Amino acid sequence: MSSPVQTLPGRTADARLRKRYAAERRFRLAGLFAVALSAAFLAFLLVTMAWKGLSGFTHFEAAVTIDFPRSDLILDPAALKGPDAQDTVAGADLQSVLMQSAGAAYGDDAAELFGSAAARSLGRQLIADPDLLNRRATIWLPVGSAIDIAAKQDSDPASERLVARLEAKDSLRRTVNMDFLTQSDATDPSAVGVWGALKGSFLTIVVTILLAFPIGVLAAVYLEEFATRNRWTDAIEVSINNLAAVPSIIFGLLGLAVFLNFMHLPRSAPLVGGLTLALMTMPVIVIAGRNAIKSVPPSIRDAALGVGASKMQVVFHHVLPLALPGILTGTIIGMARALGETAPLLMIGMRAFIAAPPTGITDPATVLPVQIFLWSDEVDRGFVEKTSAAIIVLLLFMLLMNGLAIYLRNRFERRW
Amino acid sequence: MKEKMPLMSTTPVPSPSAAIAADANREGPSATRDDGLGPEPDALQDANAVASAGAPVAEPDAGSTPKMRAREVSVSYGDKQALNKVSIDIHDDRVTAFIGPSGCGKSTFLRCLNRMNDTIPTARVTGRIELDGEDIHSSAMDVVQLRARVGMVFQKPNPFPKSIFENVAYGPRIHGLGSSKAELEQIVEKSLKRAGLWDEVKDRLNESGTALSGGQQQRLCIARAIAVDPEVILMDEPCSALDPIATAKIEELIHELRGRYAIAIVTHNMQQAARVSQRTAFFHLGELIEYGKTSEIFTNPRQQRTQDYITGRYG
Repeated sequence: MSSPVQTLPGRTADARLRKRYAAERRFRLAGLFAVALSAAFLAFLLVTMAWKGLSGFTHFEAAVTIDFPRSDLILDPAALKGPDAQDTVAGADLQSVLMQSAGAAYGDDAAELFGSAAARSLGRQLIADPDLLNRRATIWLPVGSAIDIAAKQDSDPASERLVARLEAKDSLRRTVNMDFLTQSDATDPSAVGVWGALKGSFLTIVVTILLAFPIGVLAAVYLEEFATRNRWTDAIEVSINNLAAVPSIIFGLLGLAVFLNFMHLPRSAPLVGGLTLALMTMPVIVIAGRNAIKSVPPSIRDAALGVGASKMQVVFHHVLPLALPGILTGTIIGMARALGETAPLLMIGMRAFIAAPPTGITDPATVLPVQIFLWSDEVDRGFVEKTSAAIIVLLLFMLLMNGLAIYLRNRFERRW
Repeated sequence: MKEKMPLMSTTPVPSPSAAIAADANREGPSATRDDGLGPEPDALQDANAVASAGAPVAEPDAGSTPKMRAREVSVSYGDKQALNKVSIDIHDDRVTAFIGPSGCGKSTFLRCLNRMNDTIPTARVTGRIELDGEDIHSSAMDVVQLRARVGMVFQKPNPFPKSIFENVAYGPRIHGLGSSKAELEQIVEKSLKRAGLWDEVKDRLNESGTALSGGQQQRLCIARAIAVDPEVILMDEPCSALDPIATAKIEELIHELRGRYAIAIVTHNMQQAARVSQRTAFFHLGELIEYGKTSEIFTNPRQQRTQDYITGRYG
């Protein structure tokens, strides 16, 4: 066996070989450079996000001594044990008690030490232990946003001085901000949390999945397996491909026109958000589903038909199970996109300020990306780290969903 | 195979396309061919004229009643005619082999027998095909039931990506043959035994069917076809993807299955046709050229083209 290369004059062949290897090396270097560049961008994004955002998951607490019996607080300890405890606490003027106590402990300029987060925390502690009302107690409460910033980074001189004074008295400590994960939007940045938005996102995405997945998969199955090929199916195919490329804001306008103005569904509700996102996600699922169904080898169909399976049995016993990993991958990509979507939800009113987490799909709600958008728009400096922290929560939520997708895909993947 | 040079003749016959072109020359130079795979209508007419001298013998033995009877079956895919008025009988107790060069329509004809061509949207089948005297295209004949009665084994082993047990049990289950688990197990065991696979797989019925070797997979597919208790088994080049040892096993299996089922087998391999079949049909360019006892076809063909094919001048 002699190859043509060997029969060429030695030098020419060598030169050509060298050139070939050089070209290959150049190509690999270019590829490596591209990978390194994207890795660097990703690392930059993650590091800045972590740098700015991680401090949002902690807050500072200051110790304050409150003499409850002597304060202006009028609260019946018995009422705190009843079912209306929340309302009772909310009705009491805890804020002014805190102002008095803080002023008394750390000087007049410390009157604004505590914000609404402290009042909320105090209320919770009173419900947990109504006996506090009968004595003088020292309690740790989260400080207001201005002091929190001053404790974490550079700030205005007055706040810095107060922080120094608190630290000198050993009355300042850093703790995990559980409120951020359990509370909802608020006007005071020290009191905000992502729970409401997280729940809104979850409810919205559930509505989207429940609608888009079955409808999308059934449409894909019908178009791929049952529909006869004619002008109509061609037109439908072109339309679906176009729909997948339509900007999301258009779907928002459609949702506004159809679901709100025509069908009069509740504004700002996860139901409408889910419907709108389902419209947006469906074409993606249909396309992914059709490709996955197309890639099932025809020999499997033949095999099933050959033993006398009906068309539907072939599809549901063999084709769909084999196409499922591909369908799921497409679905998850569509869902991840829907989860990160902001624009269409702005159109249907999910940008409203909503301080209570939704209890159902018809309650007003917001979603994480919209929450991030809203916070990034705020002027208060305290919202900066909250915005970054919310982005971290959103990224983790995405990571969780993608992890689930990979797990499901591997679970259903089969060899043939 | 296609480019095989003539062995028995000094006359140079360079390639199948040249041989066909010579035939078609009377139509003028415009009658060019792609590669002999797709018969053009012109060439078909021409070939027909040549073949009509000894029109295809549909009934080489008038004695027994045929299991399946095909009369003037023509198939076209879109504008392209793939099969032209083929009439063949398939009998219960013997193996019928279909031979011929690539694209001659033998697989197309086989797929007509259990209406697998229905799945190809452009395919149009005309003519009459009977199973036990019943028209398989009539509204009284359900296509799903037909395929249960006329099973099929494909060119490439195509087990379902499921366990060996599930592969065999699938057919009986959808036809409601085994109502209980025990019954199903019985059917699976019987089918695997008949397919000669039982001893090799009885300890690993829960393993995936795709993990078997190629020959084992093909026998699994035969077991799957047997499991629904068909009357006819169609085999479309069942050994073309297998090595000689696996091929020998399948051929042995065909011998054993003969008598229990009517078997029709498409094969590229003429030796295989000679070994396993009792009747052979030779197809060329969508025409049935000759049909008769295997021994006669191979030793004393009546048609020149059959002779040319089996002596390796083309194909």
